Amino acid sequence: LSHPRILVVDDDPGIRSVITEQLATKGYESRAAADGREGIDSFRRDRPDLVLTDLAMPGVDGFELIRRVREVSTVPIIVLSVRGGDSDKVHALDLGADDYIVKPFSMIELLARVRAQMRRSSGMEVREQLEFPDLLIDLDRRRVVQGGRDVHLTPTELAILAVLGRNAGRPVTFDDLIAKVWKGAQGTTNDAVRFHVGSLRRKLEPQPSTPRYIMTEPWVGYRFIAEPIA
Amino acid sequence: MRSSGTAFLKGLGALALLAVVTGAALRLHVNASTAGFVYLIVILGIALWSGLTISLLSSIVAVGCYNFFFLPPLRTFTIQDPENWVALVAFFVASLVVSRLVVNARGQAEAARARRQEIEALYSLSIDLFAATSRVGALAEATMRVLTKVGAASGGLVLFGSSSYMQQVVAWSGESEDEIKDLIAGVGRHREPLEFPGPHGRDVFLPLNVGGHIGGVLVVRGSTATVRALESVAALVALAVERERFMAESAHVQALRESDALKTSILRAVSHDLTTPLTTIALQVESLRQKLGANPAAAGSINVLSEQSDRLRRRIENLLTLARLESGKFVPRPEPTPPADLFHTAREHLAALAERRPFEVQIDDDCPDAMVDPVLAVEILVNLIENADRVSPPGTPLRLVAHRHPVDSSRVRIEVLDEGPGIHQTTEPAERFLSEAEEEGDVGRRGLGLEIAQGLAAANRGEVSLSNRPDGGAAARLDLPAATIAAAAEVAV
Repeated sequence: LSHPRILVVDDDPGIRSVITEQLATKGYESRAAADGREGIDSFRRDRPDLVLTDLAMPGVDGFELIRRVREVSTVPIIVLSVRGGDSDKVHALDLGADDYIVKPFSMIELLARVRAQMRRSSGMEVREQLEFPDLLIDLDRRRVVQGGRDVHLTPTELAILAVLGRNAGRPVTFDDLIAKVWKGAQGTTNDAVRFHVGSLRRKLEPQPSTPRYIMTEPWVGYRFIAEPIA
Repeated sequence: MRSSGTAFLKGLGALALLAVVTGAALRLHVNASTAGFVYLIVILGIALWSGLTISLLSSIVAVGCYNFFFLPPLRTFTIQDPENWVALVAFFVASLVVSRLVVNARGQAEAARARRQEIEALYSLSIDLFAATSRVGALAEATMRVLTKVGAASGGLVLFGSSSYMQQVVAWSGESEDEIKDLIAGVGRHREPLEFPGPHGRDVFLPLNVGGHIGGVLVVRGSTATVRALESVAALVALAVERERFMAESAHVQALRESDALKTSILRAVSHDLTTPLTTIALQVESLRQKLGANPAAAGSINVLSEQSDRLRRRIENLLTLARLESGKFVPRPEPTPPADLFHTAREHLAALAERRPFEVQIDDDCPDAMVDPVLAVEILVNLIENADRVSPPGTPLRLVAHRHPVDSSRVRIEVLDEGPGIHQTTEPAERFLSEAEEEGDVGRRGLGLEIAQGLAAANRGEVSLSNRPDGGAAARLDLPAATIAAAAEVAV
């Protein structure tokens, strides 16, 4: 099995070099590009398994890069965004980015996001039984076990948990949840999603004050934070 | 005495004219009625040419002559025929009425001319004044031109601050006696012009009505202009003052707008130019940790580096956020936010702190979500936790508590409880941090954390407060609006 290849696009040489160096220590093979144009060229040439890109860059920016990559490929794209650029994040997700990470970020965070995306693209999420530390979601039997206790969920709660669990480590937007859980039913509001997620969290989290599984993503939706057991 | 001399000469002239007309009428043997008309025309002429007194005296003389020379018996002042009495009285009344009418009409014409001249003078003055005050700071120059125009020997313009005793001399010429200040203040208070004889003629103090208030006093000394004319001048000067104030204000607004634009562009540059190197530093520190982490001495330094660069980043971000909020470039976007997530994220932000100090989290079962901008709420919480950490003895836990507000059920109360020495009840919360910062010898940290927290909370319709807990230590409270969430749509699965 060859090393997964990652394309890093950022106009700052310091960030490029430290990210590529760190990725190398974790067994990833990485290419660096200084702007969107170079990034698109490198993508065509090398066909990487994942793209990490900044948004604000001179010339061809990150949004354009996402658009161009999405025309030809479904590889995971993680956006490096700046704080305060919340509308940028949402815009990037709309264009087809899979996740974002806010600068300044830690390498641990970045590697976790990369792992989550690699898992998704390797097709592991089709399993009907999801296992996380202290948590088993058995979708066939519609059964959830947390820390040895059975958790009784309503069908809506279970559907939400299934969507979040299958996308562990990635942000799931309100619109995603409404589309997948409520089948896009008219009049389903973000507040309805919040209501059901709130009751799901109360049942699921062993200590609701220190969440282990579900976190809100400000203005976006939710993220399942536990890492699946392979 | 020139005017009384002129009147005397005019009187003599009138008598001479009457004598000539009488002589001519006698020579031509005109009858009594013709003579009466001729005399009336003469009186009309005299009234046109002289004043009321002379024309009245001339009327009396004319009545005498008419009676003496033309009404029988001739050459006597007696009248036999009662018809002639009627003629004489009619003539007298007619001459009186003619005199009055003519003199009145002439007076009105003169007054109209004077008014026209006054208006023309004011008009040219206003043009002058407004041309001169088209820029800020030209008021003094304009005032001096006004004073010259109204023929003043000296004077000036004094504007009031918050009271009539706060006087700002905009322009002044000539001497300035000690009591002038009080006179000016008095005029300002009584809102009435003051006029009295001064050393160089008449002195007039005129209050200036600037935007409904007495904004100052125009002092005109030694001018011959009437008070009424000067009041009009004062009204013009007041307009000029108002105009200048308005221009100064709009210049200020313009400057503010420009400085705002500058602030925004600096903000943008600063946020980009600081965030990128800080990200690089943070990543490089982590990479250092991997390379040198095995060496305990290096690991210690790296921990300090990482914690401090984190803190620097947060401070910069906080300040940028506050600046963006202030300039309206950033509007908080509240959304229902579970306190548990706030606590979780705040602890993630303070990873190094969380490693050396235990946290105890307690959230009431019925605690509602907070309706708050989640990113700002985390920043507030991080600042409160950092401040609590600074005053707490090493190893003691920090408690993070969330519950419904005890009084106002539409609010959520989030508390950071420390086991530090508490606060001095008498001092303001901000001062608490100030004194601690001084004790630490760290002047640059003065209350910044709390001030940032308060600023960010205010933007979220929240409040931050500090108090002592009965069981020791302090409680930093963040009160926020509670979110109301209803299950709007129903299950489709």
